Amino acid sequence: MKDMPQTVFVVDDDDAVRNSLRMLLKSAGVHAEVSASAQEFLSSYEPSQPGCLVLDVRMPGMSGLEMQQELNLRGATIPVIFITGHGDIPMAVEAMQHGAFDFLQKPFRDQELLDRVQRALIRDSEYRARLRHTDRIRERLASLSPREREVLDLVTQGKANKMVAGDLGVSQRTVEIHRAHVMQKMEAGSLAELVRMMMAVAP
Amino acid sequence: MMNGSNDGGSKPARTIIVAGQSSERTREVLRALRGFTNVIWPTSLESALAQTSSKDAGCLVIADDLREEPIDEFLQEARELQRNLPIFVITDPDDVAEAVSAMRHGATAVIEIPPSYSVLCEEVSRAMQ
Repeated sequence: MKDMPQTVFVVDDDDAVRNSLRMLLKSAGVHAEVSASAQEFLSSYEPSQPGCLVLDVRMPGMSGLEMQQELNLRGATIPVIFITGHGDIPMAVEAMQHGAFDFLQKPFRDQELLDRVQRALIRDSEYRARLRHTDRIRERLASLSPREREVLDLVTQGKANKMVAGDLGVSQRTVEIHRAHVMQKMEAGSLAELVRMMMAVAP
Repeated sequence: MMNGSNDGGSKPARTIIVAGQSSERTREVLRALRGFTNVIWPTSLESALAQTSSKDAGCLVIADDLREEPIDEFLQEARELQRNLPIFVITDPDDVAEAVSAMRHGATAVIEIPPSYSVLCEEVSRAMQ
């Protein structure tokens, strides 16, 4: 499946800031969508859309910090870059404690914002790639039979076929056959790879 | 006065590690924390990291840089040693960029002093509970 293009969402109640950021991002070849308020953004945002968010702290109605908390409640993982002309340390600390990616004070240099946007887009892309990877592993795990799953759990604990056979009360040959099926269904080239897969989906 | 003292005598109080070179800011932090017991001030980077990795560490207050190493790098090393240790970084007032950087490198909170000695003591007190 082709990946969706990344979008930089800009939420700021100031028309001039929104327009200048849209132009700046466009000039850097980045697709941007702008909203004038938190409510406007939240009404149309889909968490499956990859990208990052440039968010003004101080806005009428729902503030940027309140909107961040609303996104957290919705389980959104989009990296948030706060921008503000009136920032102080407690505000910055609160934003970062709630998971902000960055916090930038106005006025800032264009390049400064573009650098942070690029970093945020890379982080979002890496996070989504990890998520796809673990989803694939979970799908493969779901395709295992209950016995194959038992064998998988025991071999990834470091147990040899003979010990697994003893634990499950089956012959060693049966374990070998189940193990071969596990390797095939999990698309693992080695036991080490299998262990890494299990670690990736461990709670 | 808030303190992290040992109330029953059975368990030793965990240590509050203050890291920072010998500067006015570090001395101010030490003065602010004088009501606590078990405040230690390691004199070298190695010693500060060793104390941070100790199981007795209760919290780390980074008052100032350590000459040999900038705050963010020390903070990152300390965080790698103790993932759950409360780490407080002291900054100059209104230095938002430094505060954001400290948070990105693993600080639990950033406190600007002066004037927020009381905030520092509250945070440390909470961390020691």
